[in-house]
Amino acid sequence: MTAVAEFEALRRRTLRRQRLEALVGLLIFSAILLISFQRSQFFSSDIGGDPLGRIGDFFNRMIPDLKGDVLLEDRRTTGSMAWWFCDLPVWLKLGWQTVEMAIVATVLGAIGGLFASFLCARNLMPIAAVRFTVRRTLEAIRTLPDLVLALLLVAAFGVGPLAGVITLAISTMGGLGKLFAEINEEVDARQLEAMEASGTGLIRKIRYGVIPQVLPNYASYALIRLEGNLGGAAALGIVGAGGIGIELQRAITYTEFDTYLAILLLIVGMIFLIDMASEAIRHRLIGLGEAR
Amino acid sequence: MTRENHARALLLAPQAMRASGTARLQRMGLVVLGVAAFVAMCIDLELAPEAMLAGMDKFGQLAAGAFPPSDGGDLPRILKALAETFAMAFAGTVLAALAALPLGMLGAKTVVGQPVLHFAFRRVLDWFRGVPALVWALILVSAFGLGPFGGVIALALADVPSLAKLFSEAIENGDERPLEGVRAAGASPLMVLRYGLAPQVTPIMASQVLFFLESNFRNAAVLGIVGAGGIGFELEERIRIFAFDQVFFIIGLYMICVAALDTVSQQLRKRLA
Repeated sequence: MTAVAEFEALRRRTLRRQRLEALVGLLIFSAILLISFQRSQFFSSDIGGDPLGRIGDFFNRMIPDLKGDVLLEDRRTTGSMAWWFCDLPVWLKLGWQTVEMAIVATVLGAIGGLFASFLCARNLMPIAAVRFTVRRTLEAIRTLPDLVLALLLVAAFGVGPLAGVITLAISTMGGLGKLFAEINEEVDARQLEAMEASGTGLIRKIRYGVIPQVLPNYASYALIRLEGNLGGAAALGIVGAGGIGIELQRAITYTEFDTYLAILLLIVGMIFLIDMASEAIRHRLIGLGEAR
Repeated sequence: MTRENHARALLLAPQAMRASGTARLQRMGLVVLGVAAFVAMCIDLELAPEAMLAGMDKFGQLAAGAFPPSDGGDLPRILKALAETFAMAFAGTVLAALAALPLGMLGAKTVVGQPVLHFAFRRVLDWFRGVPALVWALILVSAFGLGPFGGVIALALADVPSLAKLFSEAIENGDERPLEGVRAAGASPLMVLRYGLAPQVTPIMASQVLFFLESNFRNAAVLGIVGAGGIGFELEERIRIFAFDQVFFIIGLYMICVAALDTVSQQLRKRLA
């Protein structure tokens, strides 16, 4: 009897504590939410009358005025496909530039990340101070959004793809360096020990002991990053760092919303293609193809 | 491995130590091809070493001119902009989570069993996931005018498809047995959700939402650059007039805020797990 009573009391106390915690959490959450809505002028901002109508109107203007009977005419005919995608050659060129930027930046960033990862892996870098510095640097890079970095670099390197490539390479290095270091730390230590026993130096230890174990994982992460970088490269053009983004920005500035939609579709399609290619390569790398 | 050991091993087991001639040739060919493609791309992008050096030089000058960083005599305004950026991120994330909840339910295979419907729904989400917040922001800023309102909606819109996908995966991975247990006790469908499913998926979802909050704080800073208010707007303004001492001040302050938010969110996520 007493055991049951004790249990009941304990249960009541636990429940009360849990409820109190939930209540406090909810209060804090609501307070932050309220302040956030207030600060971001969510309910008070002057967005003009009939905001939903304006969005509708906006999307309406984004849909091109295509006409079924002249769909395949040349670009001078209003309402044809070629008229909608009026600057397709220019966009394709800039789109290809975007792809190139993403690839070059991913390669450069992966190389940078590779070096950084060896400098901050616990099992390969014996000097703690170096590990700490490299790790903090990579962290600092990761906090900086691409576009902010791009703004700075465009100011220094001028308008063009160079600034974009450097921006993406730096941020890729920050991201991949950390992931690579994590892979390095999960390397099977026995092979490294065997090499140490045969008197191998650090460089050869990395070459023959670490690289064969980690290369597939590296490649897989780098390819995932490439997918992300393509979207990033497309956005960077908005601040003048090369690629298709500049056309996106131009279309918005001149309120050519149907052109905007056309470029957007092009970018999404491009990302989709690269995603599929990269996924196929990744699955082959990690041997998923055979497992199926 | 010393040279001597290597030579001895090579004698003992040549197959194990060296790949066959054609395989080596093939690999070499691939490497050469890759390097050639990379160089061709660099040339096409006009990544000349001279331009690189000139840019570095200019950047060094800018950075040297930026010390010591200063707040430009208007610290309250910068702090207000930072708060606004956080507010945008928080409001956007909460809105996205609210919208993603029903969509995530619909996207779960265990809720909507019909395979064609499931496939179509997932594909639609995939397509929308391709549209980044920045693109939404460009649209919404031109629809609603300058200010953080468009930014909040843009962040929410960009997150909804990703969150919905993650939510639906969390729901799909939920254990079926507690649901059956609750059902067997005679609970209504709503109660099955509340007592069978919610306890399993809420911690996972909450930690995902926190993760999105972290990333949105970064995105929100970027949105300011296209006119959605907050710290990005202040930053862009100062870069345009080359006030790099203030730029570096803001970036430093912003990085501290990001680190602080990440730490808090990590602690919360650790408690949830």
